[in-house]
Amino acid sequence: MTHPTDRHTDDFDDLDTLLAQARQLTPADLSAADRFLTRRRAARSRSRAGWLTGALASAALVAGLTVLRPAAPLPGPLPSSAAYDAYQSAWGADW
Amino acid sequence: MTRSLTLLLLTLGTAHAGDLEDVQAALKQARTQVARGQAEVTVLFPPRATPTRAAAQLPALTVRPALLAKNFSVTRTGTEQVAGRDAARFTLTPKVGDAARWTLWVDLRWNVPLAFEERGADGTLARRAALTRVQSGTARVTRPAPPAAPAGLRAALTRALPGLRLPPGFTPVGVQPRGQGLEVALTDGLNGLTLVVAPQDVKAAPGVASRRVGKVFVWLVGNLPQPTLQAALAGVRSATPDPLGTFSASPDSNP
Repeated sequence: MTHPTDRHTDDFDDLDTLLAQARQLTPADLSAADRFLTRRRAARSRSRAGWLTGALASAALVAGLTVLRPAAPLPGPLPSSAAYDAYQSAWGADW
Repeated sequence: MTRSLTLLLLTLGTAHAGDLEDVQAALKQARTQVARGQAEVTVLFPPRATPTRAAAQLPALTVRPALLAKNFSVTRTGTEQVAGRDAARFTLTPKVGDAARWTLWVDLRWNVPLAFEERGADGTLARRAALTRVQSGTARVTRPAPPAAPAGLRAALTRALPGLRLPPGFTPVGVQPRGQGLEVALTDGLNGLTLVVAPQDVKAAPGVASRRVGKVFVWLVGNLPQPTLQAALAGVRSATPDPLGTFSASPDSNP
């Protein structure tokens, strides 16, 4: 006849075995971890590349707008009377 | 024969020198005495809405005797009647270049001008003032001589506008501020030019040339042929008005 306590001890031994197996990495676990890390790196790389592309595109847009923006128009020429006034004030005040 | 020719040339030379002195004396006299009565004053350059006006006396001429002697040939060309009085007629022609030439009629007894006119190199009338009726005597006036040109102004102008080629005979005599820029008065002793450095261009017109130099515009205004005005500005390489700042006078000063 088996003592209840002995049966209980056997159960714990099984559990220890299971736990030991769980803590010990198998080649399958390592492969799974490797696949997981590879996918993760690829995703992060894609994400970083996308951010960089976006930044470069924004910079190009800003540079393009700056270069291609029409220059601020110069004020139009003054009427020729402005030149005549300058002459008159210097040389023709008494005339 | 050679001696006679030399004497003739000397006599002609002496006559011209005497004509210059006669004109100088009359213009000096005009600073303190003038003939008054009724005068007609016509100004076609610079153009104005009403070119002709009536006046009680002739306008004052801004004359610099030393420059006048240096740049003009003066010749007495006869005696004519002006406002019923006998007047000596003098022609003043630039020795070089194509600046305007002048004719003066000087009263033989009073020794003051009764009329004068300015014509462009092509003979086009620019300004004329003539008494048509005079009172019985002259009147006293006070017309101060123009101030001397500041020493070093020409060199400063050359530094401010390297490459500027002043028309023959013209020299700078004054600077004054003009808005955000400045203007330089130039003269050959009798004719005037105004050179403006401004942040804005001005429309081309007879007697007005303008050129962009860097971020500013340089104008030259005066009674000179258009190619002469343009040629003066054509070689300007840069415009840095700072050297002229120390010569800048108040706007109401007379060049």
